[in-house]
Amino acid sequence: MPAEIIDGRKISADIREELKQRVEKLKGKGVTPGLIAILVGEDPGSLSYLRGIAKGCEALGIFTETAKLPENVTQEELEKKIEELNKDPKCHGIILQLPLPKHLNTLRAESAISPEKDVDGTNPVNTGKLLLGEETFLPSTPSGVQQLLVRSGNPPEKKHVVICGRSNIVGKPLMGILVQKQTGANATVTVCHTGTKDLPAITKQADILVAAMGKAKAITADMVKEGTVVIDVGVNQIKDPETGKFKLVGDVDFDAVKDKAGAITPVPGGTGPVTTTMLMANTIKAAEEITKS
Amino acid sequence: MATTILDGRKLSSEIRGELKERASKLKEKGVTPGLGGILVGEDPGSVTYVGLKSKACEEVGIKEEVIRLPENVTEEELLNNIGRLNQDPKIHGIFIQLPLPKHLLEEKALAAILPEKDVDGFHPLSVGKAWLGQSTFFPAVVIAIHEMLTRYGYDPKDKEVVIVNVDNMVGKPLASLLVQDKEKAKANVTLCYPTTPELASYTRRADIFIVSVNRPKFITADMVKEGAVVMDFGSNWLEDPVTKKRKTVGDVDFEAVKEKAEAITPVPGGVGPMLVTMLLVNTVQAAEMQSGVK
Repeated sequence: MPAEIIDGRKISADIREELKQRVEKLKGKGVTPGLIAILVGEDPGSLSYLRGIAKGCEALGIFTETAKLPENVTQEELEKKIEELNKDPKCHGIILQLPLPKHLNTLRAESAISPEKDVDGTNPVNTGKLLLGEETFLPSTPSGVQQLLVRSGNPPEKKHVVICGRSNIVGKPLMGILVQKQTGANATVTVCHTGTKDLPAITKQADILVAAMGKAKAITADMVKEGTVVIDVGVNQIKDPETGKFKLVGDVDFDAVKDKAGAITPVPGGTGPVTTTMLMANTIKAAEEITKS
Repeated sequence: MATTILDGRKLSSEIRGELKERASKLKEKGVTPGLGGILVGEDPGSVTYVGLKSKACEEVGIKEEVIRLPENVTEEELLNNIGRLNQDPKIHGIFIQLPLPKHLLEEKALAAILPEKDVDGFHPLSVGKAWLGQSTFFPAVVIAIHEMLTRYGYDPKDKEVVIVNVDNMVGKPLASLLVQDKEKAKANVTLCYPTTPELASYTRRADIFIVSVNRPKFITADMVKEGAVVMDFGSNWLEDPVTKKRKTVGDVDFEAVKEKAEAITPVPGGVGPMLVTMLLVNTVQAAEMQSGVK
């Protein structure tokens, strides 16, 4: 039986409907949630990503702006800008678009973002809180994966989740989220990596398999158990051998795996749309927190 | 084949020997490593444990200062005392003896410790840095287990590590150390709850098997792979049916499992004796870092 396709666009739209109502409530109290992105340089990929976020924010009624800094900005100037936004009352959430140029210290910059406005969850204090199960902002990609699972009717509770890839933005925080003793989590989680010797032996154990290795077609059909829920976080640009055109594919060999999986996310249209939505959700949460206190 | 018994007492005393040397090197440069502790109330377990820490500090050459506060101390007073230790340049590491009385928020107290002095590694910033692979302090039990593995020649790299415990003090920080893309780490790590369905199907895959659930004989021989390295961090009181004496046992059915394991920690005498020593390791390291002496 072919797999159920988990429709990230549809789930994302559902979440945005809920978010709209929360924005209206905030506006009723005179608060417009605001998200400000810091972009160093003019990387076209980053610009197009931020345009997507801006569009989504506008549709929800979130104020948004990109603070553009020149490629050769100094660390001090960058941190000054962050400090300014930390104090800016119309800014509830700050995102620092990565990668930064090589002369800048990413970690120091991320640590400078006020934890209360750190809607990408990159400040190490928030990473710690996430792992400890304390209230914080969950980074948007792993948080989106959790939403996809829960909202597609495949909750991770009591399931064996195998995560391939242990980056600081996906694999590790996802493990941190899914092991918590909380609703929508409570899973038994294994983290492995591309260097793992017998990767198929581990991936075949999975009830839920998350691919986040950044390698096209790294997960093949023989690595997947019949009925597994497969979440593909990978985004890789490859050249189509027939048309010669570039296209986006995930880390999973979609066409082959979909015949074995119980459910699967496509690329594009799977984890991507939900990721940006979670960033908006965090911005609204930040604005709600400030209104509360 | 003889099973290797991972002897925490022996290893602990070896490491204390190394620490003595590092402490005396620091002293030559005019720095005496200092550990500050806070003990609230008179819980007998906590009092005993703080006493063990004091004795160990003395043995190694660390100056220790324990602030004893009454059971009914206010949060403000507690935080003031933490602040005092934070500012004292003679104190390089700080611990708060847990558990605190119920009216005090542990989370808040732990977060008040200066991260550079957080030798227990419980501050959210320390936890976050550890998870992100940055240099920081890990909780004693984590380095205890890691040191025991690596000093006995069991490098976790590329191994399947299964941890039965998902707590903030054990499972999560252990995973945090072992998944990093670093030497003596880079393992495939699985975190299981004791209630994980079909637990044995996970544990039987483990090359390195770590358990801390505080249930006697919870891990039986059929749950262990032939040749596994078994680390038992459980501690349970049991009455001996014959002698009627109470004794400490771990979570692993030691006698049966040791026939299958390549190496195993006994209880008592395994991870336990390493804990205090690991706090001292962090304290000496904190002193070295803060004074720039190494």
